[in-house]
Amino acid sequence: MPTRRGFLAGLAAATAFPAPTWADAGGPSYLTAARGPDGADRLVGLDGFGAVVFEIPLPARGHAAAAHPARPEAVAFARRPGTYAVVLDCRDGSVLRTLTAPANRHFYGHGAFSTDGALMFTTENDLDTMTGRIGVWETGQYTRVGDFASGGIGPHDVKHLPGTGTLAVANGGLMTHPDSGRAILNLPTMAPNLAFLALDGTPIETHDLPAEWRMNSLRHLDLRDDGLLAAALQWQGDAATAPPLLALGRLGEGLRFPDPSDLFRRMQGYAGSVAFSGDGARVGITSPRGGQLAVFDAGTLELVDEIPASDVCGLCGDGGDGFAWTTGLGVFSGDATPGRRGDLAFDNHLIPVGRGGAGPG
Amino acid sequence: MRPILIALFLSLPAALHAQSGDEYAPASRAATDAVTEDAARAIVASAIDGHVLPGFDVLAAEAEALAGVASTDCIPGSEALRTAWNAAFDAWIRVSHLRFGPAETDNRAFALAFWPDTRGATPSALGQLLSDEDPVIGTETGFATVSVAARGFYAMEFLLYDDVLSAEAQGPYGCALVRAAAVDIAATAEAIRDDWRDSYAGLMRTAGDNAHYQSAEEALRALYGALDQGLEFDADVRLGRPLGTFDRPRPARAEARRSLRSLRNLVLSVESLRELAAILATAPGADAARVDAAFATALDRAARLDDPAFAGVDDPQGRLRVEVLQQAVQSARDTVRAEIGPALGVAAGFNSLDGD
Repeated sequence: MPTRRGFLAGLAAATAFPAPTWADAGGPSYLTAARGPDGADRLVGLDGFGAVVFEIPLPARGHAAAAHPARPEAVAFARRPGTYAVVLDCRDGSVLRTLTAPANRHFYGHGAFSTDGALMFTTENDLDTMTGRIGVWETGQYTRVGDFASGGIGPHDVKHLPGTGTLAVANGGLMTHPDSGRAILNLPTMAPNLAFLALDGTPIETHDLPAEWRMNSLRHLDLRDDGLLAAALQWQGDAATAPPLLALGRLGEGLRFPDPSDLFRRMQGYAGSVAFSGDGARVGITSPRGGQLAVFDAGTLELVDEIPASDVCGLCGDGGDGFAWTTGLGVFSGDATPGRRGDLAFDNHLIPVGRGGAGPG
Repeated sequence: MRPILIALFLSLPAALHAQSGDEYAPASRAATDAVTEDAARAIVASAIDGHVLPGFDVLAAEAEALAGVASTDCIPGSEALRTAWNAAFDAWIRVSHLRFGPAETDNRAFALAFWPDTRGATPSALGQLLSDEDPVIGTETGFATVSVAARGFYAMEFLLYDDVLSAEAQGPYGCALVRAAAVDIAATAEAIRDDWRDSYAGLMRTAGDNAHYQSAEEALRALYGALDQGLEFDADVRLGRPLGTFDRPRPARAEARRSLRSLRNLVLSVESLRELAAILATAPGADAARVDAAFATALDRAARLDDPAFAGVDDPQGRLRVEVLQQAVQSARDTVRAEIGPALGVAAGFNSLDGD
């Protein structure tokens, strides 16, 4: 005879609609956009060894995806400059919502959920003023609930600092307009920054680059649990004189850079992705143009490892203390895996699923 | 793996697709056919001797001539002054894609060419100088400290051709401003030429034996990047900005439209890039004839376009002709990327080619 407690539990299970989790989508460890040998683009979920656990067709080459912290939902952005993004149910690939940028806006291709998953933030360009904006969406119905100035031109990536009401925005500084492709319209005056904003858009702090590095565009961000940010940079000047392509920043502290090194020239002034190791002790940047992954001590910013990998771009802390990375040649590799090569060309960005930022190191 | 059969049917705007075909290059195509170091060195030397140094020599000479004319004739609207300015501007456009090394030092390329000027900084900075009669322009070193927006060929175009600013520049201060701009252009052009001749050409020639260029392939890559980015600028900015969108063409954004140089600048640039492409296409494995034919097509389209300032983008037929030219320039870039890039061992990967 069932106990009273067991009976009630069974009743609850039968009547409540259990909230879906990432386990219902095959329990991926990572999300990434990829192109198959058939030329078709897709969003794929990968397990910790790079095996595909789901794939969802995409109508065009993707740029990046944001993974909801709890629900098996991913927001896939178009290659910039796009005006659409789709919210995908990763259990069956259905389109839950389509997000449309407001008139005279476009997305820059990145978005981030708040740590509780209730809000999502998108980086946008206001084509009337050519200044950066952050769009705010609630994630129940994915309706737009607000937007505010990003604190610069060309905001590329955004992160919500855990346990705070603070956003960090990488304002890349590059003014572009869809009419002119990706051409940079403000090279003589570009001034990237890392901006900290309250969730209502109130500016908190802005960290500029040193004047001689003002053509070093902040592009992508990774975040450690303790609020330390790492940025991957792309140098718009002479590749032979490329300054450091990695910066660390934190609310209340200025930007820190590794020492200038020949490494950054060999990376051809171009870092594609940045990530903390799974334990947060190290931080890596990838360069597909230089064909290498460079790993630094996250405390001293000393270069501790260089790993050659053709067309490497996606990079993420793994579930342990290391990294996982992907290449456009179909390789998934990492510290905790022997690596595998398949027929999917992995696009930039390897997104962790079901984990917060890396540990505090 | 869980098969998922539900396809997306969302239609996305065409802008999502790459402007050039490179995104659809096979993912497996990597940098494998790199030229030998000796061959790379020979191509770099040809590019320096046959393209870079002559181009900057002509620029320095024409800029000096411009300063000379301005010293005796500084009336905005003077034909002699306009002729000298046009000749020097021609010379700049022919080297304007070589934006690395000496042209980049001290923001020299920006001091010669502040364009596109998305905020109207040039007319505003010039208007400010003219209304304040700011004495900072009185010395060469003083003028070098004013906003780059008020310096260079595009600023001089406003002084010589813009109805409002050329009228404001009729007096003695305007004369001094014209002279200061011309002398500044000459000094900047001379500095770029001297740096190329005295040191930078040597660094590229001896790539592999110096720290700046650690291999001839690196030096070659800088030249290839200049070619690729030059074609991108021609298609996306020189042509793309005035084209705007079908619903909203932007003829007022055409480059140097006041002096009716928009098409001329495009043609000079494509001609010069053709010269550089021909040198780089001597790399084994590149089909030089195919590259040259793509440039010939683009120049042929340009020759048929009787629209010096792209004013016709307002009108559907005129717009189509400019679009056809833009496609031909994009096609030349695709051909360069298909023929020359792989021959030079420039990585053609899924991620390395397509910035993010």
